[in-house]
Amino acid sequence: MNPSATSASDPSTASRVGHLVPASLVLALAAVVAWLSYTQEPASAFLFPRLIGTVMLALALWNFIRAAMGVSKVGQGIAVTTWLNIIPGIALMAVFVFFAAKYFGFYVASTAAFFLLYSGYDPAPHTALSSWVKRVVITAAFMGVIYALFTLLLKVQTPRGMFL
Amino acid sequence: MKFRLLTAAALAVASLTAAPIAAADYPERPVSLMVSYGAGGATDFQARIVTMVAGNEDYLGQPIVIINKPGAGGRVGWNWFASDAENDGYTMGAYNIPHFIAQSIEGGVKYSAESFEPIANWGADPAVVVVGADSPYNTIEELVAFATENPGKVTLSGAGLYVGHHIAALQIEKATGAKMAYIPTKGGGAAAMKAVIAGDVVAGVNNLSDAFRAREAGSVKILAVADLERSDFISDVPTLMEAGFDVDNSSVNFRGVMVPKGTPQEIIDQLAATVPKMFENARVAKQMKAGGSPMHIMTRDEVLAMWAAREETLQDLLAGLK
Amino acid sequence: MEFLQYFGGVFEPVSFLLLLGGTVGGLILGATPGLSPTMAVALLIPFTFQLAPTQGLILLGAAYTSTVAGGAVSAILLRIPGAPANIATALDGNAMAKQGRAAEALHVSFLSSGIGGVIGVFLLIFLTPVLAKWALMFGPSHLFWMAILGVTVIGSLDSKSFVKGLLSGCLGLWLSMIGYDDIQGAQRFIFHDALTGGVSIITALIGIFAIPQVIEMLSAGRKRQDVSTVVVHKQPFLDSLKLTLSSVKSLSIGTTVGSFIGLIPGVGGQIAGLLAYDQTKKFSKDPESFGQGNPQGVIAAESANNAMVGPSLVPLLTLSIPGSPTAAVLLGGLLIHGIFPGGDLFDNHPDVIWTFINSMLIGQILMVIFGIWVAAYAAKVAQVPKAVMASAVLVLAVFGAYSVQQSMGDVYVMFVLGVGMYFLEKFGFSAAPLVLGLILGPIAEANFIQGSMIANAMNGPVEYFLMGPLNLFLIALVVASVGWSFFTTHRENRNSKEPGNA
Repeated sequence: MNPSATSASDPSTASRVGHLVPASLVLALAAVVAWLSYTQEPASAFLFPRLIGTVMLALALWNFIRAAMGVSKVGQGIAVTTWLNIIPGIALMAVFVFFAAKYFGFYVASTAAFFLLYSGYDPAPHTALSSWVKRVVITAAFMGVIYALFTLLLKVQTPRGMFL
Repeated sequence: MKFRLLTAAALAVASLTAAPIAAADYPERPVSLMVSYGAGGATDFQARIVTMVAGNEDYLGQPIVIINKPGAGGRVGWNWFASDAENDGYTMGAYNIPHFIAQSIEGGVKYSAESFEPIANWGADPAVVVVGADSPYNTIEELVAFATENPGKVTLSGAGLYVGHHIAALQIEKATGAKMAYIPTKGGGAAAMKAVIAGDVVAGVNNLSDAFRAREAGSVKILAVADLERSDFISDVPTLMEAGFDVDNSSVNFRGVMVPKGTPQEIIDQLAATVPKMFENARVAKQMKAGGSPMHIMTRDEVLAMWAAREETLQDLLAGLK
Repeated sequence: MEFLQYFGGVFEPVSFLLLLGGTVGGLILGATPGLSPTMAVALLIPFTFQLAPTQGLILLGAAYTSTVAGGAVSAILLRIPGAPANIATALDGNAMAKQGRAAEALHVSFLSSGIGGVIGVFLLIFLTPVLAKWALMFGPSHLFWMAILGVTVIGSLDSKSFVKGLLSGCLGLWLSMIGYDDIQGAQRFIFHDALTGGVSIITALIGIFAIPQVIEMLSAGRKRQDVSTVVVHKQPFLDSLKLTLSSVKSLSIGTTVGSFIGLIPGVGGQIAGLLAYDQTKKFSKDPESFGQGNPQGVIAAESANNAMVGPSLVPLLTLSIPGSPTAAVLLGGLLIHGIFPGGDLFDNHPDVIWTFINSMLIGQILMVIFGIWVAAYAAKVAQVPKAVMASAVLVLAVFGAYSVQQSMGDVYVMFVLGVGMYFLEKFGFSAAPLVLGLILGPIAEANFIQGSMIANAMNGPVEYFLMGPLNLFLIALVVASVGWSFFTTHRENRNSKEPGNA
């Protein structure tokens, strides 16, 4: 009732265009869901999907209009520098999840992903040998814990690819 | 570092081009057994018991690890098993008859009886008709008489569509000529049993093993067994045949172990020889009995014959009932 | 008072060691992002083959209790709930951790877990017959209304925008419809093979909470992080104890909601924490402070999800019906030793069952002691360099998502949902309503369809869904919940129009 200035929600820094992009994507998704719900067979099994699809479409439309009018205030958006920082990381993760894990094997891919992501975002200088030693040691230690937990203790069978 | 990676790569390429795994060394690491129902269900529970002595040198010499791939009444697990499971002998699967055959006849799945190679059968769990402990019906005749007079008023709960319970319900409807309402539940046999005990439905079709436990707990009455013979666990309960209804054992839930098509013949032979012995282990038998789970051990050849026979009867039954 | 005479069994050397091991191990497993209580218990079953029945059950009971509480650790420190039960804990718990109050959040979380848990076990000991009746009262129509009651919470849950909160909830409801439908025999929205079995809640939970955290940690880039930004406050234990014990209102709402909702087969466990959180917020004098690091939010959620543990076993122990996935796994653990749960369990195997229940009681206490002890160290997680943390959470998320059903498809679903959620969150959508939708969708739909089928065989849907005291009571709750939301939104709107408050 009496929100102090410090605890107020994050100030919105997302632009009107910034809000329009996710609003249009959600609207498109809602439209696809609603359209599929009304066209797929057997119709009796799509009673709930229709209901949800319709409500979702209405809400998405409302949200889109709010975004277009610039009254969407919540959410801080993503700054250009943030984009530049996260894109390499997301790309690396996507390669790991969709390709490397199955192709090279779970453990080899995970070790590589951990090491590369850590090294890539580690502020320690890349030129110093000590920072590389530290990265290798931490990667090995963490993967050792993962192996002990999932393979030795929980007996999970991980996919083997070209390697382990 | 670089050199060792190269060596590893060279080794990997060499192993890829090398001859297939020698059966003599099989199995050299733990073998997994895919169960297409959730942890704690009857299939999962029995699979854990019958495989618990696998690590014994007389049998596989390696432990068997249960993997649950539940979903869509077993379709998720068997779809995966038919299309994605590796056929190197390290991935086995549990089958449930009539479920997967009935589903393949229904369509929309990636498997049929031809997609799998049976190894051995461990259990047979007939479907039974249950009512709540305080239900007015004490015999199957009374229930059928009510259903005949009140078409559509008898609700029968069961675990989903195109599973043993559904087949049994269809057969009962056909044999008695009484129209009943089959209510599939989400959450398997346990949810269907809860509906009976709580009185949400008039009666239910359920697994003998679960119904036996529920009867011991004093929550249900078992009216009839959908099998050719009475069960040792509940010898006082008549079969539907005895009650005069033409319902055979098509809905009996046979459970056993299989491997995907394309598994090397030596490995299939080796498993077909050792796995039934493993099922006969005294500790396994004791635990299965203690858990109220009827055992029925069949060899690979017997299972192949049973699959073929079931395929035929289900084709007729489902064509007639659809 | 029969249970008292079996207390000795818990303190036999082997049993006590198992209890200790199960509690500590359970906490660690529960605190690991991606490992749920059901998984932890399922994975322990093979170990119990080698043990005597009582000992096996002690291990399972201790693990069940402590994994539920352990899930709060990752919820608080990393905003990654260990299980659906811990989602509400993450809302305020993580906000507290960001203010450097992680130790305080962990303290109150373990204390209220312990209090709720002990009360829950006492309910199990003294009120089992009454509770068993309550558990059976809920048929399909009631479960449907329960789910709708849950849906009414969606709009107000952790969202600064009403539209976006509802929209997030709808997305969750839609995700829950994906896959093969058991009841209607239809394939719905299966765009990719990985979706045949639908979106599993645990998989979604890992993706939706863990992956946005990973990306968030990377968003600062290769910058030397300023360690001093998060000062980890030391928290004297006595202060936390005082705070917890003085929060009578949150504790009683949490415990009551947790123990009664937790009892209902098939619904309870997953939504008890969220409903208790929402109720506490509605009854609070200061609802605005929830989500900003209010310890009351943590207390309500954690007392609810541990109060649920004892009562959730009632349907299993008295009626032989496992009411939750974890209870189903425990049933396997009982059967393996030839123990049939049911009405006469307490007469036939009193030693086994009372020792089991007692071990949960002692387990709750051990869990609090151990939890408080590690809290001070666990709070230091905030000082782990972000690059290491991001990589570790990523690898854990992938292993966790894979091991739920040993399925690569689940890993894809987890990652796609996670990346999507990161971008949606940046524009005001929220994760908690989405997961709530995902949980409630199947409950609402399956029970509506089943109820309609049963109603058709009886006197029609109107009587089935709208008549009877329990239906009417639940409908009244739904109406009250919606009315309250409108009332508070209206009040907020009026307040925000006042000058100086914009």
